Amino acid sequence: MKARKRPYYLPVGDEDQVFKAAYRQGLAVVLKGPTGCGKTRFVEAMAHDLDRPLITVSCHDDLTTADLVGRFLLEGGETHWVDGPLTRAVRDGAICYLDEVVEARQDTTVVLHPLADHRRQLSIDRLGLVVDAPPEFSLVVSYNPGYQSVLKDLKDSTRQRMVAIEFDFPPVSVEEEIVVHEADVDPGTASQLVRLAQAIRRLETAGLREVASTRVLIAAARLYVDGVPMPAAARAAIAGPLTDDPVVGAGLVQMISTYLGPSD
Amino acid sequence: MSSTGRGDDRLATLSLMASAIAGRTMDVAAAAGDRSWCDGSTIFLELGMGPVDQIQALAVQASLAACGSLEPNLLSQLVHRPTLTRRYLALEGHRALSANERVLPPVVRPLIDRPLSVVAATPQATIERARSRQSVPDPPRVFGSIEPRRALRSIEHAGPSPLQRSKGVAVDTPSGATAELDDLEDDARYVGDLLSSPVGGGGVVGRWLAKMLRPTRRRGGGGPPGADAPTRLASARSDASSAAQAYSGAAADLGAELHTIESDGMKYPEWDVAGGRYRPDWCTVVETEVETSGSTTIALSMGLREALRRSLSRLGMGLTPCRRQAQGDDIDIDAAIEMYLETMAGAPNGGDVYFENRRRRRDLGVLVLLDVSGSAGEPGFAGRSVHEHQRLVAAALTGALHDLGDRVGLYAFNSRGRKQVQYLRVMGFNEHFDGQAINRLTALRPNAYTRMGAAIRHATTVLDQRSGTPRRLLVVLSDGFAYDHGYEGRYGEADARRALSKARRRGVGCVCLSVGASTGPEALRRVFGSAAHATVPRADDLPSLIAPLFRTAIRSAEGQHRAFQRKERSREHHQMEKGRP
Repeated sequence: MKARKRPYYLPVGDEDQVFKAAYRQGLAVVLKGPTGCGKTRFVEAMAHDLDRPLITVSCHDDLTTADLVGRFLLEGGETHWVDGPLTRAVRDGAICYLDEVVEARQDTTVVLHPLADHRRQLSIDRLGLVVDAPPEFSLVVSYNPGYQSVLKDLKDSTRQRMVAIEFDFPPVSVEEEIVVHEADVDPGTASQLVRLAQAIRRLETAGLREVASTRVLIAAARLYVDGVPMPAAARAAIAGPLTDDPVVGAGLVQMISTYLGPSD
Repeated sequence: MSSTGRGDDRLATLSLMASAIAGRTMDVAAAAGDRSWCDGSTIFLELGMGPVDQIQALAVQASLAACGSLEPNLLSQLVHRPTLTRRYLALEGHRALSANERVLPPVVRPLIDRPLSVVAATPQATIERARSRQSVPDPPRVFGSIEPRRALRSIEHAGPSPLQRSKGVAVDTPSGATAELDDLEDDARYVGDLLSSPVGGGGVVGRWLAKMLRPTRRRGGGGPPGADAPTRLASARSDASSAAQAYSGAAADLGAELHTIESDGMKYPEWDVAGGRYRPDWCTVVETEVETSGSTTIALSMGLREALRRSLSRLGMGLTPCRRQAQGDDIDIDAAIEMYLETMAGAPNGGDVYFENRRRRRDLGVLVLLDVSGSAGEPGFAGRSVHEHQRLVAAALTGALHDLGDRVGLYAFNSRGRKQVQYLRVMGFNEHFDGQAINRLTALRPNAYTRMGAAIRHATTVLDQRSGTPRRLLVVLSDGFAYDHGYEGRYGEADARRALSKARRRGVGCVCLSVGASTGPEALRRVFGSAAHATVPRADDLPSLIAPLFRTAIRSAEGQHRAFQRKERSREHHQMEKGRP
């Protein structure tokens, strides 16, 4: 299984150590951090290191318990049960990663409770079954405390059952290294992009949906590597995704042309 | 100002970069003098420079602001000390740039003089160094200048809130003074400055002047409306010519606001409480668009917007069980049995046999109606005018509802007699709450009178025609003074009440909010009647109240609408019975 290359992840602090200890101790983990700072990549790297399959569920507003646990389907005149991703992860002893878990409805996250505490059980009401999770199974959830907590927060009873690892955008030198590695771009360009991102992250403007993440920097660098001139690449990958507001957009374009050389 | 619209646009786009470098919201305006400077919240940029120099000047001033180099306690040590100020700038500029280096654009970094940037560790230490006998080179031209007195005055006038810094304040006064002349000219300029910023509510004399020149109804004041209302500045010229210019600028703004889209307008009846009848086609409502001259925007309270959003997000969001779905959590037994029978009978009829709990859509359309009559310009709670309080709430509420995906429109109204009820569009239902909408909101100035009934009737019509949602809500932000020519006291109050109750009968929920005004609950009840209303001293008190208010309003409108329909039906029935031979 371990033949695949390790997903690239550059540790910033002790997150690596904490995650693996939690895994060994059978504790559920919550990853907190802004969009695009490397949470998903971190879990992929950990799953690779621990040699476990990774089952990822992107949570959304209408995610129901049945979507996680499983449901009956009708086929001809018969019903048959289909496992959901969570049940599959418990049965197979995989790492189940629920991305952006606060997006899911709160009545859905309750199903995680017995799995996340000392019981480590998944109860499947419709089958009248309680499945014990094997020691290899691990539950990892992530959420972005920034914008999402405005509308909904993780229930206290849910968060108390988890070990929290906090993420933020990496320090300048690490972020430069990441951009260089991921986009295969020269260090000078990476450094310019990171500097621009550092400036944008200081803004508290109404029209910005999110700040410039490591992910958008990598996207800009990759466009550049493929031959798009830098200001145009940054406009497409950074300014466009961050705002729909024409006033803020014009300000961002001005910043891009100042930080990344003349506009073309 | 002689700069073209294009120049203003460029300055507006620079403000985002200035904010990023300064680490807080920063406006950019043109400096009238020959040096760039910063008052802690606005950077006044010298216009004659090349683009690179301009970026450098901007970065220097923004870095000074970011590194605490322009704090009042430091500035007060520099007042009347031009040489010290220059030496301080020469050292502190390098220190601030160096401390802020990680966010500076590449073109700025070559400016930093490394040895000079490390001579002191704090701004105060830099002042000590500047006081010493050590030789300090003159600051480069792009460093601009530090204007301690003007910056201090601006901080003082801006007060605690960035909201008060509206357009007028960001106009630099001509100085033309070199640093050496600074002290001599300072006092003379002080007079000019006091008068130069009345529009933004800055100077004391200016504010008084603006008030005198504004058509408004003063509470408790007698005389017919209009008698104290000169709409043009006639003879306020004095030595303080800058004041006259600043004010006539505001008058021009108003003229622009009143640009008519539909010239004939819409006619509405008005309730005559004494006669107990409607006066048909009594009022004319003219819908116009607010025109903006610049692109300076007010800083809006994101905290309030988020708090309102959090409070309103729980409004009417239930789960609805849906049967016979193509997918779902469970099997819908009835549908499954039917399908089985149909299959057995040889006529299979699809596979919609699941049961699903779906989130019910909110389907809410909200029209926020802002009272911009002259009485809103009166001072309110905590040193801000009622209009400033209301504007803050209007922006936060519109933003919050917009974020939640509700259909929302923002309009303002005032009136000059029954033939001229102005209905100003800030944001239509199909528009986004973006920078342009905020610009239009900023451009509103309290003016004229309040014919509330006609405005409410028109707003109800607009909601009906443009919101396109089954649930509709009208939010009136007003100080609760219904007053216009022939619209005084009991008459105006009764008409406003009547308009609100009619709106509810049409199924439009009404919420009336009075923010920062001194209107008592009894007076509000007279105007708003049984509509859901609340008065709060500060906008921050609103989030805890807003959801119950909205809920009550929607429920009461739905109830009244149903009762009204029942009554109508029984009346029709009755008439049909009577008409039968």
